[in-house]
Amino acid sequence: MKPISETSVSEHLSKQFDAELESIRSRVLEMGGLVESQIRRALEGFASGDRALLDDVIVTDHRVNGLEVALDGDCSHVIVKRQPAASDLRLIFAITKTVTDLERIGDEAQKIARMAKSIHEREGGAAAMRGVDVRHTAEVALSMLRRALDAFARLDVNAAAEVIRQDAAIDSEFRSVLRQLVTYMMEDPRTITTALEIVWVAKAIERMGDHAKNMAEYVIYIVKGTDVRHTASAAREETGNPA
Amino acid sequence: MNPVYRSTAAAFLVAAFCGSLVALLAGAAWGWATAAFVLAAFLGHHARHLARLARWLARPEPGSVPEGTGSWEAVLSGLHRYARQASGRQSELAEALVRFRRAAHAMPEGVVLLDAHHCIEWCNDNAAVMLDLDPRADVGRPITNLVREPSFIEYLAAYGEDGPRAVRVPASRGIVLSIQLIPYGNEQKLMLARDVTQAERVETMRRDFVANVSHELRTPLTVLVGFLETVRELRLDPQRVRDYLAMMGEQAGRMHRIIDDLLALSVLESAPPPPLERVPVAPLLERLRADAAALSRGRHAISLEGTPSLDLLGSETELASAFGNLLSNAVRYTPAGGSVRLVWRDGPAGASFAVEDTGPGIAPEHLPRITERFYRVDRSRSRETGGTGLGLAIVKHTLARHQAALDIESEVGKGSRFSARFPPQRTIPAQPVNALS
Repeated sequence: MKPISETSVSEHLSKQFDAELESIRSRVLEMGGLVESQIRRALEGFASGDRALLDDVIVTDHRVNGLEVALDGDCSHVIVKRQPAASDLRLIFAITKTVTDLERIGDEAQKIARMAKSIHEREGGAAAMRGVDVRHTAEVALSMLRRALDAFARLDVNAAAEVIRQDAAIDSEFRSVLRQLVTYMMEDPRTITTALEIVWVAKAIERMGDHAKNMAEYVIYIVKGTDVRHTASAAREETGNPA
Repeated sequence: MNPVYRSTAAAFLVAAFCGSLVALLAGAAWGWATAAFVLAAFLGHHARHLARLARWLARPEPGSVPEGTGSWEAVLSGLHRYARQASGRQSELAEALVRFRRAAHAMPEGVVLLDAHHCIEWCNDNAAVMLDLDPRADVGRPITNLVREPSFIEYLAAYGEDGPRAVRVPASRGIVLSIQLIPYGNEQKLMLARDVTQAERVETMRRDFVANVSHELRTPLTVLVGFLETVRELRLDPQRVRDYLAMMGEQAGRMHRIIDDLLALSVLESAPPPPLERVPVAPLLERLRADAAALSRGRHAISLEGTPSLDLLGSETELASAFGNLLSNAVRYTPAGGSVRLVWRDGPAGASFAVEDTGPGIAPEHLPRITERFYRVDRSRSRETGGTGLGLAIVKHTLARHQAALDIESEVGKGSRFSARFPPQRTIPAQPVNALS
């Protein structure tokens, strides 16, 4: 009988390994989808004051946390069992970090839902916040997260670089919301409690943008092997755009 | 007999005949040599054709099948015919495939073909736009990596069991999709995505309308019934009774107004298009200004801007009521001390009538829905001021009947501007004042 050759064994193992990595990647993206929907529903509840929806967002956060723990376990399992090297190791590292960022975004969504509940429960709270436009900031943050996850699914460096650039827009949006709120508070001190809560919401949205940016940076790290965190934007763009 | 056997037999016969002839003339040795030579020539002929055929088979093209002589002629011409037919069938198939792809691309739905492992095999342009897919680069990627909505992933996982037929998936840019999976082929799936954003909006509007009509009519009715019971069961002094009756009359009048407005709306919806009668604008504007001043009772600064050089074509009563409605809204919502301006502009591009106020303004999230029936920006406020909640819906309908558009601009805390824009075909040069008199 023909002996099993060395190469066919390693090929077989690497195929199984690839399948394992692919399944982890899919589950990270599934977690991303859950977090996306959490944000969307938290913002919907923030605008409409739908109690049942907000409560559901708050409760569902435990599923995000559960996925984080499970995925972290899977990653350490793969490291111990397969001892991956080079690009595979980079992928695993990036995944553990991405999962942490996703979990934080989930927490921010839960925070928004909590604030929305307390704003809508207060007499006249909903009326006091009319005219403060956090929705646009939220749209930008949501699109950043969506595109960061898309870039992760496609390992698309250009899309990731674009997400990183988008973060500046959120920061300036956040400052303009703050200015608006300060004006409101000076005009009518009765709005201060609500305005402070809206500051928290705006801050949560701004943090989501930061986490999405981190995730985009990990995509560049997976593909290029370069760490673009805390580097000047010029250097980042050079890495981001292969052209 | 098969022509190949026949020609082979002929070659042997020729060899035998020539061999025996030469053998008779020049001896047996020469005879054998001649026969061998003839057979060698015959073999050479076959070898040459075989080589050409082999060369053609290495790169077969239907047009360039080699031609041959002898027994090869029939074989090669048969091959030629076959190659022709095959290439014809192939191009027919290719054409059918192109036609099918074009049809799939033209479908209004988004179509994605998924393999047994839920990886994308192919998608049409609509699906690419709706789901943010790349029709080339995303082939082979699991669909759940790119369409990550949890409800969709659950639907896909429960697929095949008795689940819902389709699933609602919020996509980017505020679009809502309805996605359905249809099995086909070998464990493959056809994924159909339909944009239901508009349908959902219409459904919400319809539901809100029914709820609102009942609510709007029930509020005055509750008051009415309450007073009726009080008057009937308690012994009240005549002055009290008169007061209560007056309040009941007010509520009844309110219900009356709502029903009148609803009827007016349904008449507007089903009525024939308005006549193309001249509506003199200058006197109309003056009348509107006077009405507004009367309604305001000196609480607002009311001004009129613009001198009309065009008149409108349409129904004067309908237009006057629509403009009057915009104006009374402005007067009612603007706090005392504010100003209301009527602005008329006309030119070759048409005419516009605008009402600008310095009222509280309308938040951007309400603007798209403000012309819906019974839509309230602030539920408690508008009823205090006596509106039925149908005014703007009627205005919008009336203007649409005149091919005019209603533009609403507003900023919270600054004021609002409602303007009606009429196209040139709805205007006519104004008659000079002395011609009228």
